[in-house]
Amino acid sequence: MSDVALNDIRLDIAGLPGNAGVQALRQQAADVFARTGLPGKRAEDWKYTDLSRLSAVLGESWWVTAAQTEPADVHVIDDLDAYRLVFVAGQFQAEQSNLPTGVQMLPLADFLANDTAERGHCLFHVDESAPLFNGLMAANTALASDGLCACIGDDVQLDKPLYIIHNGSSTAHVLNGLMLGRNAKVTLIEHFVGAGSDAALSNIATYLRLGENAELRHYRLQLESDKQFHIGRVEVKQARDSRYILHAVELGAQLSRADIVVDLAEPGASCALHGLFVASGRQHIDHHTRIDHNAPHCRSRENYRTVLDGRSHAVFNGKIVVAEGAIKTDSAQSNGNLLLSKNAGVDTKPELEIYNDDVKCAHGVTVGQLDEDQLFYLKSRGLSTEEARQLLTFAFADEILTAMDIPAVRRFIEHKAFAKLPNMTDLEGLLG
Amino acid sequence: MLKIENLHASVAGKKILKGINLSIGAGEVHAIMGPNGSGKSTLSNVIAGRDGYEVTAGSVTYQGNDLLAMAPEERAWAGVFLAFQYPVEIPGVNNTYMLKAGVNAKRKHQGEQELDAIDFMQLVKEKAKLVELDQSFLSRGVNEGFSGGEKKRNEIFQMAVLEPTLALLDETDSGLDIDALRVVAHGVNALRSPERSIIMVTHYQRLLDYIEPDFVHVLVDGEILKTGDKSLALELESRGYDWVKAEAAA
Ligand SMILES: Nc1ncnc2c1ncn2[C@@H]1O[C@H](COP(=O)(O)OP(=O)(O)O)[C@@H](O)[C@H]1O
Ligand SMILES: [Mg+2]
Repeated sequence: MSDVALNDIRLDIAGLPGNAGVQALRQQAADVFARTGLPGKRAEDWKYTDLSRLSAVLGESWWVTAAQTEPADVHVIDDLDAYRLVFVAGQFQAEQSNLPTGVQMLPLADFLANDTAERGHCLFHVDESAPLFNGLMAANTALASDGLCACIGDDVQLDKPLYIIHNGSSTAHVLNGLMLGRNAKVTLIEHFVGAGSDAALSNIATYLRLGENAELRHYRLQLESDKQFHIGRVEVKQARDSRYILHAVELGAQLSRADIVVDLAEPGASCALHGLFVASGRQHIDHHTRIDHNAPHCRSRENYRTVLDGRSHAVFNGKIVVAEGAIKTDSAQSNGNLLLSKNAGVDTKPELEIYNDDVKCAHGVTVGQLDEDQLFYLKSRGLSTEEARQLLTFAFADEILTAMDIPAVRRFIEHKAFAKLPNMTDLEGLLG
Repeated sequence: MLKIENLHASVAGKKILKGINLSIGAGEVHAIMGPNGSGKSTLSNVIAGRDGYEVTAGSVTYQGNDLLAMAPEERAWAGVFLAFQYPVEIPGVNNTYMLKAGVNAKRKHQGEQELDAIDFMQLVKEKAKLVELDQSFLSRGVNEGFSGGEKKRNEIFQMAVLEPTLALLDETDSGLDIDALRVVAHGVNALRSPERSIIMVTHYQRLLDYIEPDFVHVLVDGEILKTGDKSLALELESRGYDWVKAEAAA
């Protein structure tokens, strides 16, 4: 056996959950991965994010998962009234979880254990033509150990948020699928957290389908340990008049990349993506968003704010594609970047591809430091330099924080985000 | 109280203040008038401690302390207040929150107990009435979306809350219609007290109809060329500044 064969992802599939149909799809995904490999720096969408670090740090077989016996001692949002699904190292923990009753919702592994469909579950179909497709998605499909598998029926409104905690410090591939029926309404909170002292990879894919007039509020909170690599994919497909609202928060990991892909497939669908990055040290955070306006009268909003300290680096790429028939498209994108240190940097780019004339598309980017005039104004009122800087930094993120409609989540993020910045001392007073 | 001696200051290498001498006693109101670009705002900014102004000679002493050696916030704690000519907008920073932080920082510095939220709100509501500032402004971002007149009112409102012992009003009258001017002037007059000195920088004589100064100084090209009483302002109004320059050159 050559080294190449030893490093073949296909060898790791046996033993993963799924019937013959699913196993076959896993193998297909592995074939795709064997062909595409990791995205390289020459790929346009990976120009600023260097994944060679992944294999350099984790080794040639960077995808290999490891069982984790002890869940790390981590902070989660305690004062949140929610249904909880806890995963440790990519495995569902039944005794720490409470699922809603009366809806179709299972951990993926449990679902697969009883899956009789011969063709293999649709979550395992790899679509190479999907926007921002890359080899990590194929690896995710091939190697997914567990996740959420849920279909929320027509007219069902979950009375409490679904709070998924991914506690992991070892490598895991997690695959989530959530479908909302007609008029269904759900809040989904994905919280990634870990406390590992060794580097590992979290490879998380979340596929979301919104039925007619459905509403999904999605919090995606990335607070991994500062050693972790985090690769995320969120793919949303929206039917007529459905509403998707994302609050994406990036605080953790040494390298974090998320691709957010939204298909406004039918008339009247709308999405709003709110992003907040707070990075320091040598953190690297990258979001590529892609919104396809494929039908008339759809609306998209994007507002991303990044606060960068130390030698951290952020990438924001917001691509919006308006199809020929998508008249009366209403789209706006804004990306603000606050550099607290002169060694921090950002690469940001709006990309518009518009194939009809009847559209409203606005976009704006700012990159700057704290405003000297504002600082002086506050100091002249008696605020210390430190306090003035903190307040202005906080104010910069204010729009994103106030958009969060669950107070417990917002408070948690406020504290986590600003406590991690050096010089953020008297937080209590600041958040008063 | 405030003593400015031979003050020279430059901005971006350009000499703006060229030897200012000014003495201001407790409770006095001084008006500084002068044409555009004569250095009025520069003087205010140097006293308040804004970055970017290089003091090349002279001194500013306040209550016996070297003001120029103090950070802007230390000056605020010592009782210095600047009402800005162009107040900046600070979206996301709540007006009342900023003032509470400012008031309490000052109280802490002076060894007084900090005000709690209830006492502070009471103080703020009372002071807002003084300049007829609608309560809705209290909870908005600092100057965020305020009209020019509202910004100026907000400055005087802040002065009322912070209770300075030395207030510098930099063209607080500019851009106000006559009704707003009356309101603002009323607010300032109500804040006159034997412990509070006020420097009013203005371009127009009309402010002095409402707030009567003890002294009027004429600042031209970085120098105080003439000092007088209220009648000097009237003379400037009718004759302009040129005669002051000519007189000084003679
Ligand atoms: N930041 C600055 N950079 C360069 N020149 C400045 C700056 N601030 C003020 N000046 C110049 O200094 C002079 C005095 O300005 P200022 O003090 O604002 O005058 P006034 O308030 O009397 O109108 C003007 O010629 C102005 O152009
Ligand atoms: Mg001026």
